[in-house]
This record gives sequence, C-alpha cells and structure tokens, in this order.
Amino acid sequence: MRLVVLFCLILAALVAISMAVDFDAVARWAAGHQRGFQNQMAGAVRALRTGDPGALFTLLFAAASYGFVHAVGPGHGKALIGGVGLGSSVSTARLLVISLVSSLLQAFWAILLIYGGFALVEISARRMTTLAEDVLAPASYIAIASIGVILVWRGGRSLWREREALGLQKADHDHDHDHDHCGCHAHGPAPNDVAQLTSFRDAFVLVASIAIRPCTGAIFLLVIAWQMDIRTAGAAAVIVMGLGTAVFTSLVAVSTVTARRMSLVPVAKLLVVSQVLPVLQILAGGLIVWGSLTMLELAG
Amino acid sequence: MTRLLVHRATPCALAFAMSASAAFAHPHVFIDGGVNFVVGPGHELEAIEVTWLYDEFETLYMLASHGMDLNAQGALDEADRQELVRRLSDWPADFDGSAHLTSRGEAIALDWPQNLDAELVDGRLQLTFDRILQDPIKMTEHAVEAAFFERTYFFDFTVTNTPEIRGLATGCTAEIIPFDPTAQDKALLDVLAKLSREETSDIENVGGFFADRIVVRCD
Repeated sequence: MRLVVLFCLILAALVAISMAVDFDAVARWAAGHQRGFQNQMAGAVRALRTGDPGALFTLLFAAASYGFVHAVGPGHGKALIGGVGLGSSVSTARLLVISLVSSLLQAFWAILLIYGGFALVEISARRMTTLAEDVLAPASYIAIASIGVILVWRGGRSLWREREALGLQKADHDHDHDHDHCGCHAHGPAPNDVAQLTSFRDAFVLVASIAIRPCTGAIFLLVIAWQMDIRTAGAAAVIVMGLGTAVFTSLVAVSTVTARRMSLVPVAKLLVVSQVLPVLQILAGGLIVWGSLTMLELAG
Repeated sequence: MTRLLVHRATPCALAFAMSASAAFAHPHVFIDGGVNFVVGPGHELEAIEVTWLYDEFETLYMLASHGMDLNAQGALDEADRQELVRRLSDWPADFDGSAHLTSRGEAIALDWPQNLDAELVDGRLQLTFDRILQDPIKMTEHAVEAAFFERTYFFDFTVTNTPEIRGLATGCTAEIIPFDPTAQDKALLDVLAKLSREETSDIENVGGFFADRIVVRCD
C-alpha cells in the first residue's frame, strides 16, 4: 500500500514538473540557437580557408556553444544521465565523470568514424551520415533502453528481497508487537546494494551507450573540415563541442542527484528508505526505456 | 587535396532533400529566397523565376558532399560552380517546386524547372531557376497567388526577396503575405518538431500551412 502511495506521489511530481516547463518552447529556443551557432561555425571555416588564423577561436567558441544548446534540445544522452541520477545511488562526482567522459568519447568516436572513413575507404559523405542515422542512432537507443531495463530489474529485485526480509523479520518478532520496527530496513538490502554504478562495467555500459552515436552537428562539421582541408581545426572544434555538451549533461547530473536526495529526506520519515530507492529506480528505468524506444521508433 | 567519392548516380533529390539536418526535427533545411513574375501581353503571367538561398552551414555541407572545396578567396572555383550547376540541374522525379501557384484556389500547372544557375553569395549558395506556365493565365480578373513551401516541411522556405514583376508589368503589383501562425499552427509546428529526418508527416501538404505567400494582381 505504501508503495502504491509512493509511486503515485513520484508520478504526480513528474507530471507537475512536465506541466510547469514548456518543453516545446525550450526545444524551439535550442533549435534557433543551434542554427545560429552552425552559421557562425560556417563563417569561421570560410575565414580559416582564406588564411585568417584568428578564426580558429571563433570556430571553437561557436562549436562549444553549439554543443551546449544541442544538448538542451531533444536528445537521449541527458535523459539517460538524468534517469541514472534519479534512479540509482550514484554519487554526484561519479555521474559528473560519466557525463564528461561520455561526451568526450562521443566526440572522439565521431572523429575516428568520419576521418577514418574518409582516409581508409573513401566512403562518401552521404553514406557516412546515413550510417550514423540508420545504424548507430538505433544502436544507441537500444543500448540505452537496455540500461533502463536493467534499472527496472534491479529495482524490482531489491523490492522483492526487501519483502522477503521483512516477512522473515515479522516471523522472528511475532512475540514482540510493541517493538518499533523502523530499524528493520537494516536487515533488508541496504540502499548501497542498489545500483551504485561503482563497478567499471556499469560505467562503461553507460558511457558506451551515449558515445556510440555521434551527434549530427559533429558529423557535418567533420565532413566539411575534411573536405576544406582544415582537419586539425575541425577535430579540435568537435572535441570542444563535446565539452559544451558535457557542461549541460553535468548540470542534469548535479540537479537529478540533488533532486533524488531531497526527495528522500521527507519520504524517509514515512517510509522505509530501502523501499524508496528501488521505486525511484523502477520509475526512472521505465522512463528511460519509454524515452529511448520512442526515439527508436521516430528514427526507424 | 583528396576528393571525396561522390555517388554520381544519386539523384539530386538527395542533395536537396537529405543534405544536412540542422536540428533533430522538422524542418531540417531552411531556405530563404523568393519569386519573380514574368508578365506578357494582356497581363498574362507567363513564367516565374524562383530563387533559393541556403544558409551558410548547409552551403558548406552541400559543397563538401559534392566533393568541392572553397578556394583561397573563400569562393567557389568556376569549374566547380559549373559542375555543381550540371549536377543540380538533374531534378529529382518527386521535385515539388517550392513555388506553388494558384488562382481562385485552382492549382496552375508549371513546366519542369529550367535554366538553373548556382553561385555563392556571401558564403551562401544561391540557386535560381525558371518555371514556365503550361497555360499563361490572365491576372486582370483574378489575382494569382504564389505560396512558397515544400509540401513535407522538410524544408522551411521563407520569402526574403522583394518580388519583382518583369515584362509588361504596368499596372501589376505584388504583395508579400508572411506566414502568421495561429495557435493551431503553433501546436502543429510543435508536433512536427518531433519528427526525425526520415519521417514525413501524414498530413498532406503540411508545408502549405506555414507558407509565406505572394499575391500578384494587375489592373
């Protein structure tokens, strides 16, 4: 019963947040700025071609800004980071590192893919873009959806163990009904057992699922840079673009971990803490699965 | 300079339709431009001249995907320019025109595009082409309306050039009516913004809802 109440409370909070924020307006704002920064990058590329070395700074600045606003717009990386921030007991520092590493690896992977593709197999620009959109994007969504499934499964497992532990305890303490059982959770699975993402394997899966799909803006810039023979500048710009993306996903990481901690404080007074995390985890995992499958359907 | 292998067999449909997707949403390509009107004897509309102006990033991506490079002046070499004209003149079979003419709500049939030209204008690729009316239409009794859009709204066209009336233009006027979104249009735009590059809306002629229009009249 308490679990049902908890599910309802969290869902109500999510609905309230989604109604308070005009996501469409945010998406329009982000799309407009992306266009602006793209054109700024184009101007810098032309200036570099005509031998103006100062244009490199313009290119890097525009690329970093593009990376930031691109991350604000519709996308999957930040949803995953946010979901993990809410639904696991990962620390802020660890999630920040995951945000940074995944954005940077995404940039390096784009460079490897595009420059490598051109250098080794002389693949056409169009096929490269198609590969990223048709193969890598769905692969990324599926990888992210499976992380959501893992979160749901771990949450469910924790809840199940908790019930069993409570059941056992109840049998043990039947003789003493007056005893305050609030400390019972210590006998169940500790919150620490719940996906903490301390293992290298967990972190690797998270990073890889984000990094596998290069951002389209990075692909276009690299195609242009290769063809216009400003390859080092193009690669540098894409790495800076990744840093810009990392700044935004880091904000998501910090705010979701904080939100989870704040939500645990009042809830902990009513409920057994060890039940709250698994519930959050199931909800967050469910949202990640739903979000990434929606993106997969859109991309397919 | 390594030249990219370009799929020569790929129709220009792809060059236009699939070149760059600026954002993960409809529309994907933004094109400025406009329409000029060629008037013959008896105030009959004989042809239109269409101008497309790509944005700077899209321009560079299009050039790169055609294996072309800017020269040291930041311009396009004449040989490359001519090659680009040659390639873009091969219009895709599903080409939709971007300038849709009507009179009293009836569509006016146009010939296939002719005289395509391409040049770089301040870092932006500008295409111009002509379309001749299959049957010239009198503009004295009823106005002719040119709506500037692409039906799937993959491209977002905006009229930025003042329409010119050429030929026997005395007594003729052209007025731009910019797209003025209603609340309903805005809701639809938000739905479309969630479509990816490969998707098209089920709504027929959806691009037409958001079109800038030019109305031409002759007295």
